[in-house]
Amino acid sequence: MSANKTSRIGEETRVDKVNAELVTLTYGTIVAQLCQDYDSDYQEVNKQLDKMGYNIGMRLIEDFLAKSGVGRCANFKETADMIAKVGFKIFLNVTPTVTNWASDNNQFSLIFEDNPLADFVELPDDGRAQDELWFSNILCGVLRGSLEMVQMQIEAHFVSDVLRGDETTEMRVSLVRYIEDEMPPEEE
Amino acid sequence: MVVYSFYIFDRHGKNPIFIAITQLTVSSGMHLQTPLATAPGLHLRSTDDDSKLVFGTVFSLRNMVRKLGGDDDRALLSFVSFTTSQYKLHYYETPTNTKFVMLTDLKSPSMRIALQQIYINLFVEYVVKNPLSPTEHTGGVGVNNELFEQSLEQFVL
Repeated sequence: MSANKTSRIGEETRVDKVNAELVTLTYGTIVAQLCQDYDSDYQEVNKQLDKMGYNIGMRLIEDFLAKSGVGRCANFKETADMIAKVGFKIFLNVTPTVTNWASDNNQFSLIFEDNPLADFVELPDDGRAQDELWFSNILCGVLRGSLEMVQMQIEAHFVSDVLRGDETTEMRVSLVRYIEDEMPPEEE
Repeated sequence: MVVYSFYIFDRHGKNPIFIAITQLTVSSGMHLQTPLATAPGLHLRSTDDDSKLVFGTVFSLRNMVRKLGGDDDRALLSFVSFTTSQYKLHYYETPTNTKFVMLTDLKSPSMRIALQQIYINLFVEYVVKNPLSPTEHTGGVGVNNELFEQSLEQFVL
């Protein structure tokens, strides 16, 4: 599927919109609450966000397929394009750039110019949050959950975040393996 | 047109997550009931065995279709239905490996679009998006969602 066609699907897929600030504030509240619940143990907060995202992703993928009507991607490159230009476009109305492909085509980076989850956000100034908290870590989980449902096991993590003072917000996604179909149980 | 039975299998496929069996003609209304009635022309042993057979059949058939059609994943789209002298089996599979199977009489037109609509408008809306329904329907509990069942009933009418 050509890159153009992919972005057209992203443009044309109609979804109900909600107020962006509602999303930002709701998400911000969740993260803040997690930080409180785990006593600013940011590793744990990252983990919980990822887990929440995973559960969201497993459902979101069905909605994605139903709305966009796309079929299976032929290779991981196509998958990356589909995530950036259709997935992020219809759900968050942003289009991260896909770049930095590893030579074996199994790893790429998503660069977010605009991240609606992180609007208005400033990380707490306790000297650790800047180094430990990945504020938008839920997105990693969402990708992991949704791709698992379409038979791809992946690993995703943020490598930089403008909230931490980095130049860009970058997520690294790597394909671990394609999941084989589960065989039906043996006849007893 | 007569719908004999309808199954949904999730990606694990072990147990159907939804079964509806009917023997009424569509014009006179379809009555969904979980494992009981026997469809005319279909010799049912027990629903449990039956759904295993159905799953085994579509699973093998789909694999065969894929093998013969080359590993291009568009081949996923190619197995649509098969017909025997007594019934027609319609099949639709989503990229997430949820399988929709419907058995109807011979006269029915292709139900592919209908199955797709069931997925998009009913299954995703009522089952997947229901925050309280589990993501994995394991242990043979099935979907068990009234809203879904009702609208399915209406849709098939």
